[in-house]
Amino acid sequence: MATIGFQFNGLRCSGCMACVVACMDQNDLPGGGPSFRHVIRIERDEYSGPSIDFISISCHHCDDAPCITVCPTGAIYKRSEDGIVHLNENICIGCHSCLMVCPFGVPKFLDGKMAKCHFCTERVDRGLAPACVRICPTGALGIAPVEK
Amino acid sequence: MAVNTFKIQSPIPNGKIPALSRGIEIRKTICSICNPLSHCGIDAYVKDGVVIKVEGTGENPHNQGTLCSKGAASRQYIYHPDRIRFPLLRKGDRDSGTFEPISWDEALDRIAGELLRIREESGPESIAFYAGYPKWMRPFLKRLAHSFGSPNYCSESSTCSAGALLASKLNYGVAARADMSKSNCLMVWSTNPFYSNTSAARKLLDVIERGVHVIEVGPLITPLTSHADIHLRIRPGTSGALALSMAHVIIEERLFDRKFIEEWTIGFKEYLAYVQQFPPALGEQITGVSAELIQRAARLYATTKPAAILTGPNATVHHTNGIQNHRAITALIGLTGNFDREGGNYVAPPSYLYVVNGVVTRQAAFEQSRPWEEMAPRIGEDRYPVWCRLIPEAQAIHLPFQIQQRKPYPVRAVVGFGINHRMWPGSDFMCDSLKKLDFFVDVDLFMTDTARLADLVLPACSSFERSELKFYPEQYVIWTSPVIEPIGESRPDVDVILDLASRITPEDALLKKGYEGCMDWILKPTGLCVSELKRHPGGCPIQHVRMPPYQKYQDAGFSTPSGKMEFTSAVLKEMGFDPLPQYREPNFSRPATPDMSETFPLILTTGARLPMLVHSRTYRLPWIRYLHPDPMVDIHPMDARERKISSGDWVELSTRRGRIRVKAHLTETVPSGTINMYHGYPGADVNEVIEPDYVDPISGYPGFKSLLCEVRRISGKAKDSA
Repeated sequence: MATIGFQFNGLRCSGCMACVVACMDQNDLPGGGPSFRHVIRIERDEYSGPSIDFISISCHHCDDAPCITVCPTGAIYKRSEDGIVHLNENICIGCHSCLMVCPFGVPKFLDGKMAKCHFCTERVDRGLAPACVRICPTGALGIAPVEK
Repeated sequence: MAVNTFKIQSPIPNGKIPALSRGIEIRKTICSICNPLSHCGIDAYVKDGVVIKVEGTGENPHNQGTLCSKGAASRQYIYHPDRIRFPLLRKGDRDSGTFEPISWDEALDRIAGELLRIREESGPESIAFYAGYPKWMRPFLKRLAHSFGSPNYCSESSTCSAGALLASKLNYGVAARADMSKSNCLMVWSTNPFYSNTSAARKLLDVIERGVHVIEVGPLITPLTSHADIHLRIRPGTSGALALSMAHVIIEERLFDRKFIEEWTIGFKEYLAYVQQFPPALGEQITGVSAELIQRAARLYATTKPAAILTGPNATVHHTNGIQNHRAITALIGLTGNFDREGGNYVAPPSYLYVVNGVVTRQAAFEQSRPWEEMAPRIGEDRYPVWCRLIPEAQAIHLPFQIQQRKPYPVRAVVGFGINHRMWPGSDFMCDSLKKLDFFVDVDLFMTDTARLADLVLPACSSFERSELKFYPEQYVIWTSPVIEPIGESRPDVDVILDLASRITPEDALLKKGYEGCMDWILKPTGLCVSELKRHPGGCPIQHVRMPPYQKYQDAGFSTPSGKMEFTSAVLKEMGFDPLPQYREPNFSRPATPDMSETFPLILTTGARLPMLVHSRTYRLPWIRYLHPDPMVDIHPMDARERKISSGDWVELSTRRGRIRVKAHLTETVPSGTINMYHGYPGADVNEVIEPDYVDPISGYPGFKSLLCEVRRISGKAKDSA
């Protein structure tokens, strides 16, 4: 199986945040958050012609993931067959090292442990799209093999 | 590559995979949190009778497996602790908010007893029946009212889509929707489908990718703006002047459809003369959009064929000159010959509950169980006769006035389904009016601030807990079955209506047939029946439906008094209004009220949509509050700087009528000089600062989208770090 990753088409994203809530529903995340996915709003000012754009961000399941390197207990690992970066909460000590090195602020602190996007592994293994991709009403989010 | 290869078999997170062995089953239902133009198909993942996850139904062509953030939060909606679980009888006075549970039979008997007594004493018209959200029970409630003898069925349509329909009817006799998929130029006028109707947004993106020209009209920057060829950023409330100015360009440059105008319109000469008063230079002065941009937009719209105008349900009519503004906008359709043309604005009547799909049902005949002539005049008929001529319900915005003034006759009782006083301008005035009623019932999912005022509160169930028929514009239909047991003793709204009917209007034989029997009666001309639809739990395509042809007026004419498109409306003339689509400034605006604008120099526009909220319906859900924690007002950085306001500051937003406290959001998506306040927040209800009679004189529609205000920073409030 090839390495897979999220696809994002910024031209189609409207910032509706369905992906954020779908993630919370899928993962039974608490009411007050966090979600494993978030949406950034980028506003261009009047000098460049005002407009708003959005970026929906979750774990990039990086090729060379710094969170894996720094994790003192080896709780974070890459699944060899498809490159999905997993976090084993059984041995996570909640030290935040992964969060500090992640350029995208992906890992969250939840109930004393770190927690992050797992690419809806169980779904993907059965040919279903991750919850955030499935819900996206404008078709901005997708998954695809990563080109190297 | 720094990959940790020391692989411990960690438990893969629960993917909630549907499988018999895991006890997880997918059951099909629909979402009814927002309006009937959406109501997306839902796959409910159910385990041990509890919904553990939702997603969009893949085979439903309307949402194609997707949902919005509101639908995604369905679990918190259906299992919310504020759900009403039992019929409740109020103890103490209307402000006490204390209730005791009673049985359904006792509740229904009490309601029936009160309604029959009040009818005996004051006539059936003294009881109003009101439908808010959701909308699925509307035909049944209207029939109940009329069978009971009351003309006073009214609904949330009194501020929603009926105003634009009214304006279009004055011009053309019907509404004409944008034939988006076949259009080459879309003029999107004051609407943001990305946040109000996500399934329409997907289609809009598809036509944009096909290369359609987009002209966006409206003061706010939306997700559409970056796709638009031209954005006409008007001052709120000046749509009419912009449309007249565009007409000026189209006429002067001979870009109009002479043949259509000669054969199928009346009043063009008067319209022409009126339009002469709006050259682009004046258009610029009124709207704030440059004359050059007005010209470019007018040329693009008039010379690209076919071209369609996509208006929202109500943003164009939420002005004190709303109906005439909307008439001026829609007049451009006829002027350019795009009326009822392929890829232009297409006429097709709704089949059932506002959905257009070519199917013909007996909804109208079902609803109107008694002709108007056999009933008293409707609420608002004296004040808004044009409304009552063209829209088959009472004007709910007038309801609090009639409760208070008892003229021309008293309204003593309201039977509300999902009634929310925050819909009304001067919402506190509506709240006080409800307190003055002799009898008030609300049927609702949640114990809202309005439900708390009722004498009896009945628990309604959600779409997950009931059966209903739902049509989609993609010629698709679904009959849902409950996917979970009702929460507490909650029941489907229609069942409540039918149980009331058997008590207060037992002579209505059709209502005795139950929901399924009634739906079979309504569906008779379609060839569909409930028993057949039940065999398709996820819904099914409707076979052999043909959409009506284009240019139907060539055979049938127009259903206006003249039989033609009316640039000068005969109905308006008869009722004493200007028959031309006359432009007037918003009642509260710098040109109209310069004195007021000394104290309140900013334009207040309200009611724009946020993607995670639909009115006040999802604000209570924790996942939604995570996305949008506080009541928020959009302020341009220049206006903020003058007032020493930073993003996240708490500010006081005030008008002549009152003030609310809300969090500042600095953004250039709102033009400088304009304040954009979102609506429906329980703690910061902007409708409280709008006068109850700040309305359009023709329709009674509130002028929610253009008035005057001021904002100031509230000292001592710490700046929120978020």
